[in-house]
Amino acid sequence: MYGFEALTFNVDGGYLEAIVRGHRAGLLTASDYNNLCQCENLDDIKMHLSATEYGSYLQNEPSPLHTTTIVEKCTLKLVDEYKHMLCQATEPLSTFLEYITYGHMIDNVVLIVTGTLHERDVHELLEKCHPLGMFDSIATLAVAQNMRELYRLVLVDTPLAPYFSECITSEDLDDMNIEIMRNTLYKAYLEDFYRFCQKLGGATSEIMSDLLSFEADRRAVNITINSIGTELTRDDRRKLYSNFGLLYPYGHEELAVCEDIDQVRGVMEKYPPYQSIFAKMSYGESQMLDKAFYEEEVKRLCLAFEQQFHYAVFFAYMRLREQEIRNLMWISECVAQNQKSRVHDSVVFIF
Amino acid sequence: MEEEEDQSLSFSEVVEEQQGQRGSEEENVVQFLDSLDSYLTLFDSLSSTLRQGWLELASARHSMGVSRINGTLLDLKPHSAATTLQVSEPDVDYMVGQPHFKLSKWASSNNENCCFGEEKIREDKLQTKSDSPQLRNRSQFSGTPATNGASLIVDDQVSVSQALMFSYNKEVQKERSKSLSMFGTLVSPKLRSAQLSFETALETLVEIANMRSTMFSTSDQIRKEMAGPRDDNKRYCIAEEVCD
Repeated sequence: MYGFEALTFNVDGGYLEAIVRGHRAGLLTASDYNNLCQCENLDDIKMHLSATEYGSYLQNEPSPLHTTTIVEKCTLKLVDEYKHMLCQATEPLSTFLEYITYGHMIDNVVLIVTGTLHERDVHELLEKCHPLGMFDSIATLAVAQNMRELYRLVLVDTPLAPYFSECITSEDLDDMNIEIMRNTLYKAYLEDFYRFCQKLGGATSEIMSDLLSFEADRRAVNITINSIGTELTRDDRRKLYSNFGLLYPYGHEELAVCEDIDQVRGVMEKYPPYQSIFAKMSYGESQMLDKAFYEEEVKRLCLAFEQQFHYAVFFAYMRLREQEIRNLMWISECVAQNQKSRVHDSVVFIF
Repeated sequence: MEEEEDQSLSFSEVVEEQQGQRGSEEENVVQFLDSLDSYLTLFDSLSSTLRQGWLELASARHSMGVSRINGTLLDLKPHSAATTLQVSEPDVDYMVGQPHFKLSKWASSNNENCCFGEEKIREDKLQTKSDSPQLRNRSQFSGTPATNGASLIVDDQVSVSQALMFSYNKEVQKERSKSLSMFGTLVSPKLRSAQLSFETALETLVEIANMRSTMFSTSDQIRKEMAGPRDDNKRYCIAEEVCD
Protein backbone atom coordinates (compact mmCIF):
# COMPACT_ATOMS: atom_id res chain seq x y z
CA MET A 1 0.00 0.00 0.00
CA TYR A 2 1.39 3.42 -0.98
CA GLY A 3 2.67 5.42 1.97
CA PHE A 4 3.59 2.44 4.12
CA GLU A 5 6.84 1.51 2.42
CA ALA A 6 8.75 2.91 5.41
CA LEU A 7 7.57 -0.06 7.48
CA THR A 8 9.10 -2.77 5.33
CA PHE A 9 11.38 -1.34 2.67
CA ASN A 10 14.56 -1.26 4.76
CA VAL A 11 14.32 -4.97 5.51
CA ASP A 12 15.51 -5.88 2.02
CA GLY A 13 16.31 -2.60 0.34
CA GLY A 14 17.65 -0.35 3.09
CA TYR A 15 21.31 -1.24 2.69
CA LEU A 16 21.31 -0.82 -1.08
CA GLU A 17 19.35 2.43 -0.93
CA ALA A 18 22.00 3.78 1.44
CA ILE A 19 24.72 2.55 -0.92
CA VAL A 20 23.17 4.22 -3.94
CA ARG A 21 22.66 7.47 -2.06
CA GLY A 22 26.32 7.36 -1.10
CA HIS A 23 27.28 6.80 -4.74
CA ARG A 24 25.09 9.75 -5.71
CA ALA A 25 27.15 11.99 -3.44
CA GLY A 26 30.17 11.09 -5.56
CA LEU A 27 28.75 12.55 -8.77
CA LEU A 28 30.82 15.39 -10.23
CA THR A 29 29.80 18.91 -9.25
CA ALA A 30 29.76 22.15 -11.21
CA SER A 31 33.20 23.12 -9.86
CA ASP A 32 34.62 19.77 -11.05
CA TYR A 33 33.21 20.44 -14.52
CA ASN A 34 34.62 23.99 -14.50
CA ASN A 35 38.07 22.62 -13.74
CA LEU A 36 37.74 19.97 -16.43
CA CYS A 37 36.58 22.51 -19.02
CA GLN A 38 39.77 24.49 -18.49
CA CYS A 39 42.12 21.57 -19.17
CA GLU A 40 44.57 21.95 -22.01
CA ASN A 41 44.95 18.28 -22.88
CA LEU A 42 43.70 14.82 -21.92
CA ASP A 43 46.50 14.29 -19.40
CA ASP A 44 45.21 17.35 -17.53
CA ILE A 45 41.75 15.78 -17.51
CA LYS A 46 43.23 12.57 -16.12
CA MET A 47 44.99 14.60 -13.41
CA HIS A 48 41.75 16.36 -12.41
CA LEU A 49 39.82 13.09 -12.41
CA SER A 50 42.44 11.46 -10.18
CA ALA A 51 41.00 13.53 -7.31
CA THR A 52 37.53 12.06 -7.95
CA GLU A 53 36.13 8.52 -7.67
CA TYR A 54 37.43 7.82 -11.19
CA GLY A 55 41.01 8.25 -10.02
CA SER A 56 41.77 4.59 -9.35
CA TYR A 57 40.39 3.57 -12.76
CA LEU A 58 42.52 6.02 -14.74
CA GLN A 59 45.74 6.11 -12.76
CA ASN A 60 47.40 3.21 -14.61
CA GLU A 61 46.53 4.39 -18.09
CA PRO A 62 49.63 5.41 -20.04
CA SER A 63 49.96 8.64 -21.98
CA PRO A 64 48.93 9.64 -24.56
CA LEU A 65 45.36 9.12 -23.50
CA HIS A 66 42.49 8.77 -25.91
CA THR A 67 38.91 9.94 -25.34
CA THR A 68 37.61 6.38 -25.78
CA THR A 69 39.94 5.21 -22.98
CA ILE A 70 38.52 7.79 -20.58
CA VAL A 71 34.95 6.71 -21.46
CA GLU A 72 35.80 3.00 -21.11
CA LYS A 73 37.39 3.40 -17.68
CA CYS A 74 34.61 5.60 -16.35
CA THR A 75 32.08 3.03 -17.62
CA LEU A 76 34.00 0.27 -15.82
CA LYS A 77 33.47 2.12 -12.55
CA LEU A 78 29.72 2.24 -13.19
CA VAL A 79 29.69 -1.47 -14.05
CA ASP A 80 31.51 -2.36 -10.83
CA GLU A 81 29.05 -0.38 -8.76
CA TYR A 82 26.10 -1.95 -10.56
CA LYS A 83 27.42 -5.49 -10.12
CA HIS A 84 27.95 -4.90 -6.42
CA MET A 85 24.36 -3.70 -6.04
CA LEU A 86 22.99 -6.56 -8.17
CA CYS A 87 24.72 -9.27 -6.19
CA GLN A 88 23.38 -7.80 -2.93
CA ALA A 89 19.83 -7.35 -4.20
CA THR A 90 16.87 -9.63 -3.56
CA GLU A 91 13.65 -9.89 -5.51
CA PRO A 92 12.03 -7.79 -6.81
CA LEU A 93 14.91 -5.31 -6.71
CA SER A 94 17.23 -7.71 -8.55
CA THR A 95 14.76 -7.97 -11.45
CA PHE A 96 14.37 -4.18 -11.41
CA LEU A 97 18.15 -3.76 -11.63
CA GLU A 98 18.32 -6.25 -14.51
CA TYR A 99 15.66 -4.33 -16.40
CA ILE A 100 17.93 -1.28 -16.32
CA THR A 101 20.49 -3.13 -18.46
CA TYR A 102 18.19 -4.50 -21.17
CA GLY A 103 18.58 -1.33 -23.22
CA HIS A 104 22.32 -1.92 -23.39
CA MET A 105 21.68 -5.55 -24.29
CA ILE A 106 19.60 -4.47 -27.28
CA ASP A 107 22.34 -2.06 -28.37
CA ASN A 108 24.92 -4.85 -28.15
CA VAL A 109 22.78 -7.27 -30.19
CA VAL A 110 22.34 -4.67 -32.92
CA LEU A 111 26.05 -3.84 -32.86
CA ILE A 112 27.05 -7.48 -33.35
CA VAL A 113 24.46 -8.10 -36.06
CA THR A 114 25.33 -4.88 -37.95
CA GLY A 115 29.05 -5.49 -37.67
CA THR A 116 28.65 -9.06 -38.92
CA LEU A 117 26.61 -7.80 -41.87
CA HIS A 118 29.55 -5.51 -42.67
CA GLU A 119 31.98 -8.47 -42.48
CA ARG A 120 33.73 -7.32 -39.30
CA ASP A 121 35.53 -9.65 -36.94
CA VAL A 122 33.31 -10.69 -34.04
CA HIS A 123 36.10 -10.23 -31.47
CA GLU A 124 36.54 -6.64 -32.59
CA LEU A 125 32.80 -6.12 -32.14
CA LEU A 126 32.73 -7.72 -28.70
CA GLU A 127 35.32 -5.21 -27.50
CA LYS A 128 32.98 -2.39 -28.44
CA CYS A 129 29.95 -3.84 -26.65
CA HIS A 130 28.69 -2.12 -23.52
CA PRO A 131 29.70 -4.23 -20.49
CA LEU A 132 26.29 -3.80 -18.86
CA GLY A 133 24.63 -5.46 -21.84
CA MET A 134 26.77 -8.59 -22.10
CA PHE A 135 25.33 -12.11 -21.91
CA ASP A 136 26.85 -15.56 -22.38
CA SER A 137 25.85 -16.43 -25.92
CA ILE A 138 26.37 -12.99 -27.43
CA ALA A 139 29.23 -14.11 -29.68
CA THR A 140 26.99 -16.63 -31.49
CA LEU A 141 24.89 -13.77 -32.83
CA ALA A 142 27.35 -13.59 -35.72
CA VAL A 143 26.02 -16.89 -37.08
CA ALA A 144 22.41 -15.76 -37.70
CA GLN A 145 21.30 -14.83 -41.22
CA ASN A 146 17.80 -13.60 -40.44
CA MET A 147 15.71 -12.66 -37.42
CA ARG A 148 14.13 -16.07 -37.08
CA GLU A 149 17.61 -17.64 -36.72
CA LEU A 150 18.67 -14.82 -34.43
CA TYR A 151 15.83 -15.67 -32.10
CA ARG A 152 16.04 -19.47 -32.40
CA LEU A 153 19.80 -19.82 -32.04
CA VAL A 154 20.66 -17.15 -29.51
CA LEU A 155 18.03 -14.88 -28.09
CA VAL A 156 15.44 -17.44 -27.03
CA ASP A 157 17.41 -18.01 -23.81
CA THR A 158 17.99 -14.35 -23.04
CA PRO A 159 15.79 -11.79 -21.30
CA LEU A 160 15.14 -10.21 -24.74
CA ALA A 161 13.22 -13.27 -25.98
CA PRO A 162 9.74 -11.94 -25.05
CA TYR A 163 10.44 -8.76 -27.05
CA PHE A 164 11.02 -10.62 -30.28
CA SER A 165 7.47 -11.69 -30.97
CA GLU A 166 6.76 -8.56 -33.03
CA CYS A 167 9.81 -8.74 -35.22
CA ILE A 168 10.32 -12.39 -36.05
CA THR A 169 10.46 -12.72 -39.81
CA SER A 170 12.45 -14.76 -42.25
CA GLU A 171 13.62 -11.65 -44.06
CA ASP A 172 17.33 -11.31 -44.36
CA LEU A 173 18.97 -8.84 -42.05
CA ASP A 174 19.73 -5.58 -43.82
CA ASP A 175 20.26 -2.02 -42.58
CA MET A 176 16.59 -1.03 -42.61
CA ASN A 177 15.38 -4.26 -41.02
CA ILE A 178 18.04 -3.99 -38.32
CA GLU A 179 16.97 -0.43 -37.52
CA ILE A 180 13.33 -1.48 -37.29
CA MET A 181 14.36 -4.44 -35.13
CA ARG A 182 16.31 -2.14 -32.79
CA ASN A 183 13.43 0.25 -32.31
CA THR A 184 10.80 -2.48 -32.05
CA LEU A 185 12.83 -4.29 -29.38
CA TYR A 186 13.37 -1.08 -27.45
CA LYS A 187 9.67 -0.24 -27.64
CA ALA A 188 8.76 -3.71 -26.31
CA TYR A 189 11.37 -3.40 -23.54
CA LEU A 190 10.13 0.01 -22.39
CA GLU A 191 6.52 -1.16 -22.31
CA ASP A 192 7.50 -4.30 -20.36
CA PHE A 193 9.55 -2.25 -17.88
CA TYR A 194 6.62 0.14 -17.48
CA ARG A 195 4.22 -2.75 -16.73
CA PHE A 196 6.68 -4.24 -14.24
CA CYS A 197 6.96 -0.91 -12.36
CA GLN A 198 3.17 -0.56 -12.34
CA LYS A 199 2.95 -4.01 -10.69
CA LEU A 200 5.45 -2.96 -8.01
CA GLY A 201 3.15 -0.12 -7.05
CA GLY A 202 3.79 2.61 -4.49
CA ALA A 203 6.39 5.34 -4.95
CA THR A 204 8.36 3.15 -7.36
CA SER A 205 5.40 2.97 -9.73
CA GLU A 206 4.64 6.67 -9.48
CA ILE A 207 8.18 7.92 -10.03
CA MET A 208 9.19 5.32 -12.61
CA SER A 209 6.00 5.96 -14.61
CA ASP A 210 7.01 9.59 -14.93
CA LEU A 211 10.61 8.74 -15.87
CA LEU A 212 9.69 6.02 -18.37
CA SER A 213 6.95 8.15 -19.93
CA PHE A 214 9.49 10.89 -20.50
CA GLU A 215 11.82 8.34 -22.06
CA ALA A 216 9.06 7.08 -24.36
CA ASP A 217 8.15 10.62 -25.43
CA ARG A 218 11.75 11.54 -26.08
CA ARG A 219 12.17 8.40 -28.18
CA ALA A 220 9.11 9.30 -30.21
CA VAL A 221 10.50 12.77 -30.95
CA ASN A 222 13.93 11.41 -31.88
CA ILE A 223 12.47 8.72 -34.14
CA THR A 224 10.37 11.39 -35.87
CA ILE A 225 13.26 13.79 -36.41
CA ASN A 226 15.71 11.09 -37.47
CA SER A 227 13.24 9.59 -39.96
CA ILE A 228 12.52 12.88 -41.75
CA GLY A 229 13.69 12.50 -45.35
CA THR A 230 14.22 8.72 -45.08
CA GLU A 231 12.33 5.82 -46.63
CA LEU A 232 10.52 5.01 -43.38
CA THR A 233 6.79 5.30 -44.07
CA ARG A 234 4.35 7.05 -41.74
CA ASP A 235 2.79 3.75 -40.71
CA ASP A 236 6.16 2.20 -39.90
CA ARG A 237 7.11 5.30 -37.96
CA ARG A 238 3.88 5.15 -35.98
CA LYS A 239 4.53 1.48 -35.13
CA LEU A 240 7.86 2.37 -33.49
CA TYR A 241 6.30 4.70 -30.91
CA SER A 242 5.65 3.21 -27.45
CA ASN A 243 2.05 2.70 -26.31
CA PHE A 244 2.34 4.88 -23.23
CA GLY A 245 3.56 8.33 -22.30
CA LEU A 246 2.17 11.83 -22.39
CA LEU A 247 2.12 11.89 -26.19
CA TYR A 248 0.18 8.63 -26.47
CA PRO A 249 -2.06 8.40 -28.49
CA TYR A 250 -2.92 11.79 -30.04
CA GLY A 251 0.58 13.22 -30.02
CA HIS A 252 1.84 10.12 -31.78
CA GLU A 253 -0.78 10.50 -34.52
CA GLU A 254 0.40 14.05 -35.15
CA LEU A 255 4.10 13.20 -34.95
CA ALA A 256 3.69 10.36 -37.45
CA VAL A 257 2.82 12.85 -40.22
CA CYS A 258 5.48 15.48 -39.45
CA GLU A 259 7.80 16.28 -42.36
CA ASP A 260 10.12 18.81 -40.74
CA ILE A 261 11.38 20.02 -37.37
CA ASP A 262 8.98 22.97 -37.23
CA GLN A 263 5.98 20.64 -37.52
CA VAL A 264 7.44 18.55 -34.67
CA ARG A 265 7.76 21.75 -32.62
CA GLY A 266 4.13 22.59 -33.41
CA VAL A 267 3.01 19.22 -32.04
CA MET A 268 5.20 19.29 -28.91
CA GLU A 269 4.32 22.83 -27.89
CA LYS A 270 0.76 21.69 -27.22
CA TYR A 271 2.09 19.72 -24.22
CA PRO A 272 3.09 22.04 -21.34
CA PRO A 273 5.98 19.93 -19.98
CA TYR A 274 7.67 20.10 -23.40
CA GLN A 275 6.98 23.77 -24.13
CA SER A 276 10.01 24.85 -22.12
CA ILE A 277 12.24 22.41 -24.02
CA PHE A 278 11.26 23.73 -27.43
CA ALA A 279 11.22 27.33 -26.23
CA LYS A 280 15.03 27.11 -25.88
CA MET A 281 15.43 26.45 -29.61
CA SER A 282 14.99 28.78 -32.53
CA TYR A 283 12.82 27.82 -35.49
CA GLY A 284 14.29 25.27 -37.88
CA GLU A 285 17.03 24.34 -35.40
CA SER A 286 17.43 20.93 -33.82
CA GLN A 287 21.05 20.97 -32.64
CA MET A 288 20.24 21.98 -29.06
CA LEU A 289 17.28 19.61 -28.73
CA ASP A 290 19.35 16.77 -27.31
CA LYS A 291 20.83 18.99 -24.61
CA ALA A 292 17.41 20.37 -23.75
CA PHE A 293 16.00 16.85 -23.34
CA TYR A 294 19.00 15.76 -21.26
CA GLU A 295 18.59 18.77 -18.97
CA GLU A 296 14.93 17.95 -18.42
CA GLU A 297 15.78 14.30 -17.78
CA VAL A 298 18.47 15.22 -15.23
CA LYS A 299 15.99 17.46 -13.42
CA ARG A 300 13.49 14.61 -13.13
CA LEU A 301 16.17 12.10 -12.11
CA CYS A 302 17.44 14.36 -9.32
CA LEU A 303 13.88 14.75 -8.02
CA ALA A 304 13.70 10.95 -7.62
CA PHE A 305 16.13 11.23 -4.71
CA GLU A 306 13.76 13.52 -2.81
CA GLN A 307 11.67 10.50 -1.76
CA GLN A 308 12.76 7.43 0.12
CA PHE A 309 11.86 3.74 0.11
CA HIS A 310 11.50 3.16 -3.59
CA TYR A 311 13.53 1.61 -6.40
CA ALA A 312 13.54 4.59 -8.73
CA VAL A 313 16.68 5.90 -7.01
CA PHE A 314 18.63 3.02 -8.56
CA PHE A 315 17.37 3.82 -12.04
CA ALA A 316 18.01 7.52 -11.45
CA TYR A 317 21.55 6.90 -10.25
CA MET A 318 22.45 4.73 -13.23
CA ARG A 319 21.07 7.32 -15.64
CA LEU A 320 22.86 10.19 -13.87
CA ARG A 321 26.16 8.31 -14.07
CA GLU A 322 25.61 7.68 -17.77
CA GLN A 323 24.97 11.39 -18.22
CA GLU A 324 28.18 12.14 -16.33
CA ILE A 325 30.12 9.79 -18.62
CA ARG A 326 28.57 11.54 -21.65
CA ASN A 327 29.70 14.88 -20.18
CA LEU A 328 33.24 13.58 -19.71
CA MET A 329 33.26 12.23 -23.26
CA TRP A 330 32.17 15.60 -24.66
CA ILE A 331 34.67 17.58 -22.59
CA SER A 332 37.47 15.19 -23.64
CA GLU A 333 36.54 15.53 -27.31
CA CYS A 334 36.46 19.34 -27.11
CA VAL A 335 39.84 19.42 -25.35
CA ALA A 336 41.38 16.89 -27.75
CA GLN A 337 40.09 18.83 -30.79
CA ASN A 338 41.12 22.19 -29.31
CA GLN A 339 37.54 23.45 -29.39
CA LYS A 340 37.04 24.41 -25.75
CA SER A 341 34.72 27.25 -26.72
CA ARG A 342 32.13 24.64 -27.72
CA VAL A 343 32.36 22.62 -24.51
CA HIS A 344 29.16 24.08 -23.05
CA ASP A 345 27.15 23.04 -26.12
CA SER A 346 26.47 19.61 -24.67
CA VAL A 347 27.60 19.48 -21.02
CA VAL A 348 24.63 19.06 -18.66
CA PHE A 349 25.37 19.94 -15.06
CA ILE A 350 23.84 17.54 -12.56
CA PHE A 351 24.19 19.66 -9.44
CA MET B 1 65.15 56.88 -96.61
CA GLU B 2 63.04 53.81 -96.93
CA GLU B 3 65.68 51.83 -95.14
CA GLU B 4 65.66 54.37 -92.31
CA GLU B 5 61.86 54.17 -92.16
CA ASP B 6 62.05 50.36 -92.12
CA GLN B 7 64.64 50.50 -89.34
CA SER B 8 62.58 52.92 -87.22
CA LEU B 9 59.49 50.82 -87.83
CA SER B 10 61.26 47.69 -86.70
CA PHE B 11 62.56 49.59 -83.67
CA SER B 12 59.08 50.76 -82.73
CA GLU B 13 57.76 47.28 -83.34
CA VAL B 14 60.38 45.93 -80.98
CA VAL B 15 59.47 48.54 -78.38
CA GLU B 16 55.78 47.71 -78.74
CA GLU B 17 56.51 44.05 -78.50
CA GLN B 18 58.56 44.62 -75.40
CA GLN B 19 55.77 46.66 -73.84
CA GLY B 20 53.31 43.94 -74.78
CA GLN B 21 55.50 41.31 -73.25
CA ARG B 22 55.93 43.35 -70.08
CA GLY B 23 52.15 43.69 -69.92
CA SER B 24 51.73 39.95 -70.28
CA GLU B 25 54.42 39.34 -67.64
CA GLU B 26 52.64 41.62 -65.20
CA GLU B 27 49.41 39.87 -65.99
CA ASN B 28 51.02 36.52 -65.20
CA VAL B 29 52.47 37.85 -61.97
CA VAL B 30 49.06 39.19 -60.95
CA GLN B 31 47.48 35.86 -61.85
CA PHE B 32 50.10 34.02 -59.82
CA LEU B 33 49.51 36.24 -56.79
CA ASP B 34 45.73 35.85 -57.18
CA SER B 35 46.01 32.08 -57.32
CA LEU B 36 48.36 32.09 -54.31
CA ASP B 37 45.87 34.19 -52.35
CA SER B 38 43.01 31.86 -53.34
CA TYR B 39 45.15 28.85 -52.40
CA LEU B 40 45.79 30.20 -48.91
CA THR B 41 42.14 31.19 -48.47
CA LEU B 42 41.03 27.72 -49.54
CA PHE B 43 43.42 26.17 -47.02
CA ASP B 44 41.90 28.24 -44.22
CA SER B 45 38.45 27.28 -45.38
CA LEU B 46 39.43 23.59 -45.47
CA SER B 47 40.86 23.76 -41.97
CA SER B 48 37.71 25.32 -40.49
CA THR B 49 35.40 22.95 -42.42
CA LEU B 50 37.30 19.91 -41.14
CA ARG B 51 37.24 21.23 -37.58
CA GLN B 52 33.50 21.72 -37.88
CA GLY B 53 33.08 18.22 -39.31
CA TRP B 54 35.06 16.50 -36.56
CA LEU B 55 33.15 18.34 -33.87
CA GLU B 56 29.83 17.45 -35.46
CA LEU B 57 30.90 13.81 -35.60
CA ALA B 58 31.76 13.93 -31.90
CA SER B 59 28.41 15.58 -31.25
CA ALA B 60 26.61 12.84 -33.19
CA ARG B 61 28.47 10.23 -31.15
CA HIS B 62 27.46 12.02 -27.96
CA SER B 63 23.84 12.08 -29.10
CA MET B 64 23.47 8.60 -30.59
CA GLY B 65 25.84 6.73 -28.29
CA VAL B 66 29.28 5.23 -28.63
CA SER B 67 27.95 1.83 -29.74
CA ARG B 68 26.13 3.35 -32.72
CA ILE B 69 29.00 5.40 -34.10
CA ASN B 70 32.38 3.72 -34.05
CA GLY B 71 34.96 2.37 -36.45
CA THR B 72 33.88 -1.26 -36.11
CA LEU B 73 30.64 -0.52 -37.99
CA LEU B 74 32.42 0.54 -41.18
CA ASP B 75 31.49 -1.72 -44.06
CA LEU B 76 34.35 -3.92 -45.25
CA LYS B 77 32.35 -5.55 -48.06
CA PRO B 78 33.51 -4.57 -51.55
CA HIS B 79 31.37 -1.78 -52.93
CA SER B 80 31.74 0.90 -55.58
CA ALA B 81 33.01 4.33 -54.68
CA ALA B 82 30.32 6.89 -53.95
CA THR B 83 32.58 9.71 -55.17
CA THR B 84 35.31 9.61 -57.81
CA LEU B 85 38.04 11.99 -58.88
CA GLN B 86 38.84 12.46 -62.55
CA VAL B 87 42.22 13.80 -63.53
CA SER B 88 42.46 15.24 -67.03
CA GLU B 89 46.01 15.22 -68.35
CA PRO B 90 47.45 18.55 -69.55
CA ASP B 91 46.77 19.27 -73.21
CA VAL B 92 49.97 19.80 -75.19
CA ASP B 93 48.29 22.32 -77.49
CA TYR B 94 46.76 24.16 -74.58
CA MET B 95 48.82 27.14 -73.47
CA VAL B 96 48.42 26.44 -69.78
CA GLY B 97 49.60 22.82 -69.54
CA GLN B 98 48.28 21.69 -66.19
CA PRO B 99 46.30 18.69 -64.95
CA HIS B 100 42.73 19.45 -63.99
CA PHE B 101 40.86 17.67 -61.18
CA LYS B 102 37.14 17.08 -61.27
CA LEU B 103 34.99 15.50 -58.58
CA SER B 104 32.04 13.28 -59.48
CA LYS B 105 29.95 13.09 -56.34
CA TRP B 106 27.50 10.38 -55.39
CA ALA B 107 28.00 8.34 -58.56
CA SER B 108 27.51 4.70 -57.56
CA SER B 109 27.22 1.81 -60.02
CA ASN B 110 23.54 1.46 -59.10
CA ASN B 111 22.88 5.03 -59.98
CA GLU B 112 25.17 6.02 -62.84
CA ASN B 113 22.79 8.74 -63.98
CA CYS B 114 23.30 10.59 -60.72
CA CYS B 115 26.61 12.21 -61.55
CA PHE B 116 25.42 13.23 -64.98
CA GLY B 117 22.20 14.66 -63.68
CA GLU B 118 23.80 17.96 -62.87
CA GLU B 119 25.26 18.29 -66.37
CA LYS B 120 21.90 17.42 -67.89
CA ILE B 121 20.19 20.09 -65.85
CA ARG B 122 22.85 22.60 -66.81
CA GLU B 123 22.43 21.64 -70.46
CA ASP B 124 18.70 22.09 -70.16
CA LYS B 125 19.16 25.46 -68.51
CA LEU B 126 21.58 26.54 -71.24
CA GLN B 127 19.12 25.34 -73.83
CA THR B 128 16.39 27.31 -72.11
CA LYS B 129 18.55 30.41 -72.09
CA SER B 130 19.56 29.93 -75.71
CA ASP B 131 15.99 29.21 -76.81
CA SER B 132 14.27 31.98 -74.93
CA PRO B 133 15.98 34.97 -76.64
CA GLN B 134 14.90 33.53 -80.01
CA LEU B 135 11.40 33.10 -78.69
CA ARG B 136 11.45 36.63 -77.41
CA ASN B 137 12.63 37.86 -80.82
CA ARG B 138 9.88 35.93 -82.53
CA SER B 139 7.33 37.34 -80.13
CA GLN B 140 8.38 40.89 -80.94
CA PHE B 141 7.24 40.43 -84.53
CA SER B 142 4.36 38.04 -84.18
CA GLY B 143 2.10 39.77 -81.64
CA THR B 144 0.28 38.77 -78.43
CA PRO B 145 -0.84 35.14 -78.97
CA ALA B 146 2.69 34.10 -79.95
CA THR B 147 4.02 35.96 -76.89
CA ASN B 148 1.71 33.99 -74.60
CA GLY B 149 2.62 30.75 -76.35
CA ALA B 150 6.32 31.59 -76.16
CA SER B 151 6.17 32.45 -72.46
CA LEU B 152 4.27 29.20 -71.80
CA ILE B 153 6.99 27.26 -73.60
CA VAL B 154 9.64 29.06 -71.54
CA ASP B 155 7.71 28.33 -68.32
CA ASP B 156 7.41 24.67 -69.30
CA GLN B 157 11.14 24.40 -69.91
CA VAL B 158 11.93 26.11 -66.62
CA SER B 159 9.57 23.80 -64.73
CA VAL B 160 11.10 20.76 -66.48
CA SER B 161 14.58 21.83 -65.42
CA GLN B 162 13.30 22.49 -61.90
CA ALA B 163 11.76 19.01 -61.84
CA LEU B 164 15.06 17.55 -63.05
CA MET B 165 16.92 19.47 -60.34
CA PHE B 166 14.44 18.18 -57.76
CA SER B 167 14.86 14.58 -58.87
CA TYR B 168 18.65 15.05 -58.91
CA ASN B 169 18.59 16.42 -55.37
CA LYS B 170 16.42 13.51 -54.31
CA GLU B 171 18.90 11.03 -55.80
CA VAL B 172 21.79 12.78 -54.09
CA GLN B 173 19.90 12.65 -50.78
CA LYS B 174 19.32 8.94 -51.32
CA GLU B 175 23.01 8.33 -51.97
CA ARG B 176 23.92 10.33 -48.87
CA SER B 177 21.55 8.25 -46.73
CA LYS B 178 22.94 5.07 -48.29
CA SER B 179 26.48 5.95 -47.29
CA LEU B 180 25.33 6.73 -43.73
CA SER B 181 23.32 3.52 -43.48
CA MET B 182 26.27 1.66 -41.92
CA PHE B 183 25.45 3.59 -38.74
CA GLY B 184 21.75 2.80 -39.05
CA THR B 185 18.92 4.23 -41.14
CA LEU B 186 17.56 6.54 -38.42
CA VAL B 187 20.58 8.69 -37.70
CA SER B 188 20.80 12.01 -35.92
CA PRO B 189 20.76 15.27 -37.97
CA LYS B 190 24.17 15.95 -36.41
CA LEU B 191 25.64 12.99 -38.27
CA ARG B 192 24.13 14.28 -41.53
CA SER B 193 25.69 17.70 -40.83
CA ALA B 194 29.04 16.04 -40.27
CA GLN B 195 28.65 14.26 -43.60
CA LEU B 196 27.93 17.56 -45.36
CA SER B 197 30.96 19.17 -43.74
CA PHE B 198 33.26 16.40 -44.91
CA GLU B 199 31.67 16.56 -48.36
CA THR B 200 32.42 20.30 -48.49
CA ALA B 201 35.96 19.60 -47.31
CA LEU B 202 36.43 17.14 -50.19
CA GLU B 203 35.24 19.73 -52.71
CA THR B 204 37.61 22.28 -51.18
CA LEU B 205 40.49 19.82 -51.49
CA VAL B 206 39.81 19.43 -55.22
CA GLU B 207 39.66 23.23 -55.59
CA ILE B 208 42.98 23.46 -53.76
CA ALA B 209 44.50 20.89 -56.13
CA ASN B 210 43.26 22.86 -59.17
CA MET B 211 44.45 26.15 -57.69
CA ARG B 212 47.86 24.64 -56.96
CA SER B 213 48.04 23.39 -60.52
CA THR B 214 47.24 26.91 -61.79
CA MET B 215 49.87 28.36 -59.50
CA PHE B 216 52.56 26.02 -60.79
CA SER B 217 51.72 26.70 -64.41
CA THR B 218 51.73 30.52 -63.99
CA SER B 219 54.96 30.23 -62.02
CA ASP B 220 56.49 28.26 -64.92
CA GLN B 221 55.30 30.86 -67.40
CA ILE B 222 56.80 33.67 -65.35
CA ARG B 223 60.11 31.83 -65.17
CA LYS B 224 60.09 31.33 -68.93
CA GLU B 225 59.34 34.98 -69.48
CA MET B 226 62.13 36.02 -67.14
CA ALA B 227 64.52 33.90 -69.19
CA GLY B 228 63.03 35.47 -72.36
CA PRO B 229 64.14 39.20 -72.06
CA ARG B 230 67.81 38.31 -72.98
CA ASP B 231 66.57 37.48 -76.51
CA ASP B 232 64.66 40.78 -76.56
CA ASN B 233 67.76 42.72 -75.56
CA LYS B 234 69.69 41.01 -78.33
CA ARG B 235 66.99 41.98 -80.80
CA TYR B 236 67.11 45.55 -79.45
CA CYS B 237 70.85 45.66 -79.95
CA ILE B 238 70.43 44.35 -83.45
CA ALA B 239 67.75 47.01 -83.99
CA GLU B 240 70.15 49.68 -82.64
CA GLU B 241 72.88 48.50 -84.94
CA VAL B 242 70.44 48.64 -87.76
CA CYS B 243 69.44 52.15 -86.75
CA ASP B 244 73.07 53.16 -86.59
